[in-house]
Amino acid sequence: MPYLYNTPEDQREMLAAIGAESVDDLFAPIPDDLKLGRALQLPAAMCELELDQHLRELASANQHAGNAVCFLGGGSYDHFVPAVCDVIGSRSEFYTSYTPYQAEASQGNLQAMFEYQSLITRLTGMEVSNSSLYDGASAAAEAVLMALHAGGKRTKIVAPASLHPEYRQTIATYLECIDAELVTLPCPAGVIDADELAAAVDGDTAAVLLQQPNFFGCVEDADRVAAVAKDAGALLISVFDPISLGILKRPGDYGANIAVAEGHTLGTPMSYGGPYLGIMACDQSLVRRMPGRIVGETTDRRGNKCFVLTLQTREQHIRRDKATSNVCSNQALFAVRAAAYLSQAGPQGLKETAELCLHKSRYLAEQLCASERFSMAFEAPTFKEFVIRDRDNDVAGLLQQARSAGYLAGLPLGGWYPELSDCLLIAVTEKRTKAEMDALVGVLAGSRHARLAAVD
Amino acid sequence: MRNTRDTQLLFVLSKPGRRAGRLPACDVPTADIAELLPTAAVADAPPALPEVTEPQIIRHFLNLSTQNMSVDTHFYPLGSCTMKYNPKRNERAAAMPGFADLHPLSPDAAVQGMLHVLYEMQQYLSEISGLPACSLQPAAGAHGEYAALLVAAAYFRDRGELEQRRRVLVPDNAHGTNPASAVMAGFDTVAVKTLPNGGVDMDDFRGKLDDRTAVLMITNPNTVGIFEPNMRVIADEVHAAGGLVYLDGANMNAILGITRPGDFGADMQHYNPHKTFSGPHGGGGPGAGPICVTDALAPYLPAPIVERVGSGSSVVGSQESEHNAAATNYPLPPTLYRLSYDRPKSIGRVRSFFGNVGVLLRAYCYIRTHGPDGLKRVSENAVLNANYLLSRVKHILPVPQGDRCMHEFVASGSKIKKEKGVAAMDIAKRLLDYGYHAPTVYFPLTVPEAIMVEPTETESKETLDAFAAALFRITEESPELLHEAPHSTPISRPDEVQAARSPCLCARWD
Ligand SMILES: Cc1ncc(COP(=O)(O)O)c(C=O)c1O
Repeated sequence: MPYLYNTPEDQREMLAAIGAESVDDLFAPIPDDLKLGRALQLPAAMCELELDQHLRELASANQHAGNAVCFLGGGSYDHFVPAVCDVIGSRSEFYTSYTPYQAEASQGNLQAMFEYQSLITRLTGMEVSNSSLYDGASAAAEAVLMALHAGGKRTKIVAPASLHPEYRQTIATYLECIDAELVTLPCPAGVIDADELAAAVDGDTAAVLLQQPNFFGCVEDADRVAAVAKDAGALLISVFDPISLGILKRPGDYGANIAVAEGHTLGTPMSYGGPYLGIMACDQSLVRRMPGRIVGETTDRRGNKCFVLTLQTREQHIRRDKATSNVCSNQALFAVRAAAYLSQAGPQGLKETAELCLHKSRYLAEQLCASERFSMAFEAPTFKEFVIRDRDNDVAGLLQQARSAGYLAGLPLGGWYPELSDCLLIAVTEKRTKAEMDALVGVLAGSRHARLAAVD
Repeated sequence: MRNTRDTQLLFVLSKPGRRAGRLPACDVPTADIAELLPTAAVADAPPALPEVTEPQIIRHFLNLSTQNMSVDTHFYPLGSCTMKYNPKRNERAAAMPGFADLHPLSPDAAVQGMLHVLYEMQQYLSEISGLPACSLQPAAGAHGEYAALLVAAAYFRDRGELEQRRRVLVPDNAHGTNPASAVMAGFDTVAVKTLPNGGVDMDDFRGKLDDRTAVLMITNPNTVGIFEPNMRVIADEVHAAGGLVYLDGANMNAILGITRPGDFGADMQHYNPHKTFSGPHGGGGPGAGPICVTDALAPYLPAPIVERVGSGSSVVGSQESEHNAAATNYPLPPTLYRLSYDRPKSIGRVRSFFGNVGVLLRAYCYIRTHGPDGLKRVSENAVLNANYLLSRVKHILPVPQGDRCMHEFVASGSKIKKEKGVAAMDIAKRLLDYGYHAPTVYFPLTVPEAIMVEPTETESKETLDAFAAALFRITEESPELLHEAPHSTPISRPDEVQAARSPCLCARWD
């Protein structure tokens, strides 16, 4: 076996030192009737070469952002991953270490996480950040639990239908077994109707969720939503898109109390959904209810500035059943990658990335809507994603056709929103070129002509 | 050689006008932002991120990295964390564009190679656990505990017993995530006493088990590294009381191919693929927390789950084991595998998208590299190494659990504490000076001055000998020296009280 050291001679010596007859002897505490007594039914071992060939074959059976053109979004995006993120993320001292319990032997991780926290506070305009949670959806669910604790007797959570359906499902799961209720606010116009929201929110509401830009790509009126939440004494939880903050106001600017995001877009590839980065930042006043690891600055015995895990009395390893959350392993490596990403982008790079997303997505939307077949589903302004309606109501056919031409053209929405079964959610990142978009328009808009021609 | 200039905070290194990343010119017509978006939504200026160059970023982070100990650079016997070697072939596989650049909401037909891996993983994990149904969705061990407890709650709700069964029994030496997960899932926790060998105190257990019990969460091998002596009896009694048994699978590295949780009475378990199956720990994460359950609990698992449609042949025709033997048929039929969302009794989702796929893919590589015999050899050597190290260490520090262990053991520093005033923490810190990462200390809470050592199978006898020798030398050193340890690390002990009392959680600026 490739990673084992013990030679037969080592084994003999070690057993002698232990005072055991055989390796089997060491397993004597396991009663015989509980032992498996047969080989596991698993495929036989592969050497590195065989494994490599096997995986290449499997990988080549996938259509991915490298061999197809990806316009898929909905919480995971084909943004560019700069080389610095890969180099830093594959540095052994980062990726093969564990949670920095021993601060003296982990200053690298601790400082990198402290810098991540600092970058996130600047990115979001919030006061404090933790050092990562699992992903955007579970971070949103944890934010809801925080708000419920902070809200005392308040048990209602209001989420608009414009919040990512999988985030709403995750929150619903987290609330199923505790005394709390998730109310979903319909958004027929693709954005929150502030009056409807005001009617749905009351003195029992612990938090209002806002996704900005929302699941449909539309920009919400964050100030009004914030005002409604505040008037009712509820907390505002913002689910933001980190890249959008190159242009849009930060959650802290419009008064969010907790801000969460899916952070994979900051330097981590799509990887079929994970591992990703759950970002969470909040008001200073909520920090002692925040889940997850937090790194703080302090001094060592020689008076040197240094970093350490802090506020640990919130955590499961100290507080057990009284902990603010059960989170132990987090997504630290992607926090480091995000720190590298944000430093390489800088303010200007983030702004330009966001602008490219905005302009390009608007271009594609216009081009598509120039065809008689498509129209925008909603009027609200969009950032990098948009929903188009197919007047021919054949979303499945369109996607199939585009895929065979090498385009992952968009997400069908009917599964989540039956009323949008004739609609597609299309995302455009800075990676997409005019040529790719023009070609996609040709495939999507052209497919009607082709079909009509075939009927003729 | 240390370079402290370039490890100053990024904000200190920043200088207006510097930048690293450049972007392509916009190749489509543009308009003023003010025309495209409502003014109220637009920020006056982008966030005040640092302005640095690419060489600066690399030098900064690489110099920071050298201040860490890691598995690739040091022996890292951190008990309960299974800090084994992280194979490089796995890293390469996860970075293949055919996996790394897959969008999670791609149509199933576009990701058959990926779904093949994930489907097989479900099968492998079920086979290794002896529990037939699997969900790969949870993002870490603790997340798996939580998901499985929600599954248990859904099961009892379905049977009309949830009102009555409010309690989760948790041995007092369990990991902190166990009680924390139980509370998040809406249960009350009841601590069960354990004996000095880590085994459940049967009288205490029997006194607490009744028809209010929903679940017993048990770690086996337990957190002192002993196979629970009464496992079968405990499981039978929980079942007789109408409860379920949850197995915290953090210690699976001791029992691969030797015994299976499903066979010793567990109804559900999580895995920590980042421990058992060599996923790198990433400085704290990522992990993954797949769960396996019995058929009775299967309907409640999170959705989606990968299903094999019909009895078509394998996606690829490379070597499969006999039981998997399938005719070669490539290119693939378009939908041999699909994600099944049609699970009406499911607890729903515990996160977005499929799961921590990159971690699962590394675990897949690990399982394929080892095969059935190899996995068993892993556990045998993990247990051999731990017992060998125990045989060296017990003469230096008492090991209350006795002469034998599974994959890890817990020594106690209470004697040296009494005699010389040297705490487990002092020993841990001094080990850093000798070039070893410290074992886990002060866990489990049931062993005074606990020093929890897990060498793993990917270490040599020479390393274990040298570690024991260092430990011995440390116990001979002067208490004053040890109280001040470590002496050779980039920093000395941090003031944790100050850190918590007046928290400074982000760089102060301007
Ligand atoms: C015994 C035990 N249970 C559960 C966990 C939690 O696993 P994770 O960190 O993957 O959430 C750990 C990890 O530290 C553990 O050692």
